[in-house]
Amino acid sequence: MTDSRYLRAHRGGSAAVALAAMVALASCGGAESSQESAETITLWQYYGDPSSPTGGPLYDFIDRYEQENDGVEVEVRFIPAADFDRTLLQAAAGGDLPDIALINAFDTAAMAEAGVLQDLSDRVTEWGEADAYLDTGWATTQVDGKTYGIPHVADAYAIYYNTAMFAEAGLQPPQTWDDMETVAAQLSDGSRAGLAVSGIEGVEGSTGLVIRMLAAGGEVDQPDSDAGREALEQFTTLTASGALSEGFLTWTEDDVKNQFAQSQAAMMINSATYVSILREESPDLQWDVALLPADEERLTYLSAENLTITTGSDDPDQAWDLIEFMQQPDQLAEYLPARNKLPARDDVPDTTDDPARAVFADQLAKAWAPQDTLATKSGEVFTFLQQALQAAVSGAATVDAAASQAQSDVDEALAQ
Amino acid sequence: MTTVTSARPARPVHRASSRPRGRRRGLHNYLFLAPAVVFVAGTVLYPLGFNLVQGFQSVGLAEIVNGGARFVGLDNYRDQFTRGEFWHSFGISLLYTAVAVALSVGGGLGLALLFNLPLRGRDQLRALMLLAWLLPTVVSANVWRWLLDGSHGLVNAALSAVGLIDGDVFWLARPDAALVAVTVATAWTLAPFAMILLLAGLQGIPGTLYEAARIDGARPVQQLRWITLPLLRPVTLATLLLCFIYTFKTFDTVFLMTGGGPGGATQTLPIYAYEQAFTFFDFDVAAVATTVLLAVPVMLSLAYFRSLRGEDRR
Repeated sequence: MTDSRYLRAHRGGSAAVALAAMVALASCGGAESSQESAETITLWQYYGDPSSPTGGPLYDFIDRYEQENDGVEVEVRFIPAADFDRTLLQAAAGGDLPDIALINAFDTAAMAEAGVLQDLSDRVTEWGEADAYLDTGWATTQVDGKTYGIPHVADAYAIYYNTAMFAEAGLQPPQTWDDMETVAAQLSDGSRAGLAVSGIEGVEGSTGLVIRMLAAGGEVDQPDSDAGREALEQFTTLTASGALSEGFLTWTEDDVKNQFAQSQAAMMINSATYVSILREESPDLQWDVALLPADEERLTYLSAENLTITTGSDDPDQAWDLIEFMQQPDQLAEYLPARNKLPARDDVPDTTDDPARAVFADQLAKAWAPQDTLATKSGEVFTFLQQALQAAVSGAATVDAAASQAQSDVDEALAQ
Repeated sequence: MTTVTSARPARPVHRASSRPRGRRRGLHNYLFLAPAVVFVAGTVLYPLGFNLVQGFQSVGLAEIVNGGARFVGLDNYRDQFTRGEFWHSFGISLLYTAVAVALSVGGGLGLALLFNLPLRGRDQLRALMLLAWLLPTVVSANVWRWLLDGSHGLVNAALSAVGLIDGDVFWLARPDAALVAVTVATAWTLAPFAMILLLAGLQGIPGTLYEAARIDGARPVQQLRWITLPLLRPVTLATLLLCFIYTFKTFDTVFLMTGGGPGGATQTLPIYAYEQAFTFFDFDVAAVATTVLLAVPVMLSLAYFRSLRGEDRR
């Protein structure tokens, strides 16, 4: 299986050689124009290469499609997340887009408005399965009443907690954020923190703050509100007491997982992606998953990808065929547990009987995702929120100043 | 053998005295130049021009994909030049560059003087020093991240062993410390490069001058002050300029170590441009930033070449 995956990963190269050979033949004159017998569609994704735990299941999934569809080849290209949007835009500008792009749900609106994505509304109507999708995820595919993507998978953030440490301290997972402050402080000592969450520069590091704002019933585009200031204040307090290591400002979600896996933190806020990674990498670690703390709301932050057909697709019909295949409930039932993601639709049978997945599924039922203008400007807004978090926690600004700065930046971005 | 005979006939072009020479030979010459010209035009001039033009247009996501950007004159420049974030990044860039260049050229000079002495094993050590410069940035930046890590970093372990700090210090999470850290990391990479250039300069100073100075009774410090430094001046200036250009446009070290954080404390102009282009999709703003990024070293280079001409005349 692995070999065939690698073959596919390198098929791009051989296709280019074949193309060059064809051009050379044609230019020699007299050669018949040969047609490729196999249909080839291209799919770009940022999950991972075939050997990675996050990329592998997707390649297997595509293998199954190829086995069922003789004569169709799917060329999958992995582009690391940090380079994905840039590469896609460059391809769009250069007229070299793939057929299918598996893109971040929050980028869908911006890409659709820029004309990178095809309007799938007619296909979706004919398909008739739109009602099966969870509202929050489906909303990310909509721009001006048109559908530009199909939710591929869904994921949510919840609390991972170290059951051994909790048992030793006689504690339960926190129910409110006040509770979180107490529990995290009790679980921390000189060498260990109570909580870990990503706070790194950029969009990724805003998740914790967004979740905290949502819990207080706040609006994400209103950092200079009670909820916003309360959230900033709390992260500042958590850091000052050592319940949350000051280092979280430099941590990615992967770093956070490492902190938790090495028992450097008793809890972490992270997505379901890490369920199987933890089981694989740290089999001895004792942990469980709990719902996020709630004050006004128990909302989580949706993390999802949408399957889209680009405006540069040569074969949108075949591309749609693959997307339909990838959304069949029985196919998803096989793919999702391997990928550690949750279904974006409500008719996928869960055959795993996995308690951790069940908690994530519960949490996902109350998920938040940016809508409308906030969706197209989400990259900017989240960046400004994270900057406020860094400024407040690192002491570069007071909570009030950080919140008000973020507010004016957000307002300006949304007004554009 | 055949290669030799077949290679010969290529030469007689010059001997064909009966042909009208000037123009045709000129044409040939240009033809040989053509690949280089096409290459430079395609890989340097076109992107440069494209970037300059974008600075005068309104370019968002849609315009990048579909073209048809509107010209807005100096609006982008006016907008950026009245914006605090832009000047913040510009200031951070200058500070970061100035200190990193001073450290790397100062350190490089020290190393060059050291390795100019007849020490045993200096060639091996010199080669080893160069490793820092040769190391891919993704490696060196991550090594620095690891060294400076708050809980497991070597720097903290060393500092707390000698009692300078107490508990975990997260260098990259603190605004001032993060800026110092990326500056030092850059200087660490660049110092060996400066060393090589300065060492070449040192070895070009005639030994007879030192002999004469010694006969006149000059002490080592005086020799350094009156012979080495003045004669090393041209090389030092060139090294300073090269290091400035290299540092001013450095993106990778900073991006990998801090991503511009915390709270924008290490947001240099290249990071600012990257964020504007690829997070915010404001390509016009990014174009203004990169144009400034280009203009500063160009102005410095012009000043340098003018000073060279002045020195020639002297």
